[in-house]
Amino acid sequence: MSGPFATAGLWMLVVLAVLIIGTGLPVWVLLIGTASLFAAGGILVGAMDWGVLNAIASRTLGLLDQDLLQALPLFVFIGVLLQRLPVADALFLSLASVFGRTGAGTSIAAFGVGTLVAPMNGSVASSSALLARLVAPRLGRIDAAAATALISASATIGVVVPPSLVLILLGDTMLRAHTEASNLPDYVLGTTRIINTQDVFHAALLPAATVLMLWLAVAWWQGRKFKSQQTAAPVSRFQLALALVVTCATLALFVGVFVGEIFAVEAAATGGVLLVCASVATRALKWTQWRSVLADTLSLSGALLALLVGATTFSLVFRLWGTDTWITNTLLASPLSPLVTSALVLLLVAMCAWVLDAFEVIFVIIPIIAPPLIARLGDAQQTAVLLLLVLQLSFLIPPMGYAVMMARAKSGLVNTSMWSTLQALLPYIAVQCAVTAMVFAMPWTVHQFDTAAEAIAAPISAQDLEQQMREMSNPGSPPEAKNP
Amino acid sequence: MSARLKFVLACCSAAWPCDKPPGPLATTILKPMEENSSVLPTDGNAVGLRAPAPVNGQSRDRRKASVAIALVIPLAFLLFAQWPLRSWLAAYSRDANNIAQIVFALYAAVAITAASRSKAHLAFVGYRTLVQRKVTVVWRPWVRLVCVGPWAAFMLWTALPQMVESIRVMEKFGEGYTPGYFLMRVALVVLAVLVFVNAAGDVYFETRRHRQSKA
Repeated sequence: MSGPFATAGLWMLVVLAVLIIGTGLPVWVLLIGTASLFAAGGILVGAMDWGVLNAIASRTLGLLDQDLLQALPLFVFIGVLLQRLPVADALFLSLASVFGRTGAGTSIAAFGVGTLVAPMNGSVASSSALLARLVAPRLGRIDAAAATALISASATIGVVVPPSLVLILLGDTMLRAHTEASNLPDYVLGTTRIINTQDVFHAALLPAATVLMLWLAVAWWQGRKFKSQQTAAPVSRFQLALALVVTCATLALFVGVFVGEIFAVEAAATGGVLLVCASVATRALKWTQWRSVLADTLSLSGALLALLVGATTFSLVFRLWGTDTWITNTLLASPLSPLVTSALVLLLVAMCAWVLDAFEVIFVIIPIIAPPLIARLGDAQQTAVLLLLVLQLSFLIPPMGYAVMMARAKSGLVNTSMWSTLQALLPYIAVQCAVTAMVFAMPWTVHQFDTAAEAIAAPISAQDLEQQMREMSNPGSPPEAKNP
Repeated sequence: MSARLKFVLACCSAAWPCDKPPGPLATTILKPMEENSSVLPTDGNAVGLRAPAPVNGQSRDRRKASVAIALVIPLAFLLFAQWPLRSWLAAYSRDANNIAQIVFALYAAVAITAASRSKAHLAFVGYRTLVQRKVTVVWRPWVRLVCVGPWAAFMLWTALPQMVESIRVMEKFGEGYTPGYFLMRVALVVLAVLVFVNAAGDVYFETRRHRQSKA
């Protein structure tokens, strides 16, 4: 659709923003309410057909039918469970003991817990809650601003370390976006294929590792200033053993996902099953605690699923107005160079992520802007990694960055001024900006593991390939018996 | 540092001072409402977070836990089983996935309303705007019903005939031909029914409570 109604979707976003801020009602309710209002308006003015709205049911069924989303309740379950189990506690004490000689044992341990737990935890909110409960009380002797910065940065690690929920959901969104981009006139798919979640994992690995290494250096550097105040608490053998097992299990799952031996959803399930078995075997939780874990899991995952359902309805009506096409055409016809246009779009995403949670950005904003962004940059994996890094960066910028707000609200640390918090965060932000700029300027940094991964992932023999081709060309014929 | 940057930082500090309640700038964020009910202090100083959700009582926790036990734990075990089934047994992996899909669909159908009952949905919080003050307890359920009621009714109108037809032919999964795909369509209808009934029930009970408190 074009013409006077093409920008109606932008008004949908404006109305949604006003209603969210003005009424304080749940976002998913307002997503559906705004979509319903504009759908009714569209039918009244003849801009859309009544019958096409039937797609709402099939799209919602598509959500229930999606393999990747099965990971959502599992990640929430693991996140809630980890908050009540002594696993993270053992990890923290063991790391603090091991790195005690560096003079920044507590800081490195806090960072290490964030890194090891984030992929299992799944979201910034869960990581923040865990780190605030576990780490913050032990950072009391460190400067409050530095401690807040450390917790904030550690809580965002899950955004880039697989197989976290944010990465899984972004991978799925990028798959759709890349498919749409491949139909755009300015984009040539060539010999490359449509990317999937696994490709996003591979692409994010080197930039994520760079961010982690540099942030670790920052944590060590900031922690050394308080060397005399950092004393390692005693750690038992059981805690050391538990920490070792958890570290090995996490690394094994990570490697399994990376090489394609197991899917991210299965990794989440494996983590969940191991935690459940260990908890039951050691009787770590009482029945009332289990009840609370399960009730919280149902509620929190329900909140995320509701958001998905709302965003699905909203995006359908948005597209029916033709606003996505209008945005794509506007970006593709931009008089600015592709790189400048892409940088401006990323800035827009950063501003959205500054005030929104990762899930709203992934479900509402990225599906709209990602296809033209891929077309402008010409590289879907680079686009995915840039979006991840920008999300992570926005969560770290005070006063509204999600991770900073959560750390300040939940950690119980002495509240410091905005200026001192920003000063403590600046090295982390500078690292993040540098890595983002590196990926932006050097797309090859996201393709370092492409070949290796493909070689490991799915070897297919010439015979199998020939048989597949034969079956595709003549689907009615019975498949031939495979040779041993 | 430039004077401009200093000015911006000063503005930010003014909006979010260390020892005062959060200013409007600091509240522009979306948070899960339930988080503060269990973790955060309830003295109103928690930045941008809604006042604690009403205490649900142990019976509701028990009901939710029962649903979660019946669905989350089997889901985890079914998805976990896929890996050895695929890699070692080279069979039944697709079946496990399809059964997990049914469990997940039923879980999702129930979880959205469970989140509504716990007031766990993401919402803008922090300060009460003029409209928020006007949209009092009595009107909020009505607004919710107006927003999701037509949507749920439309979903039922389109999904119900599909569900009936799907049950009639005992629809199977496209991949693997595992029986039971019709349960996915049942889950969709359950989702819409629960959302509608919950929104309508909220209106009924809130209005009755308001009348009683007035009387």
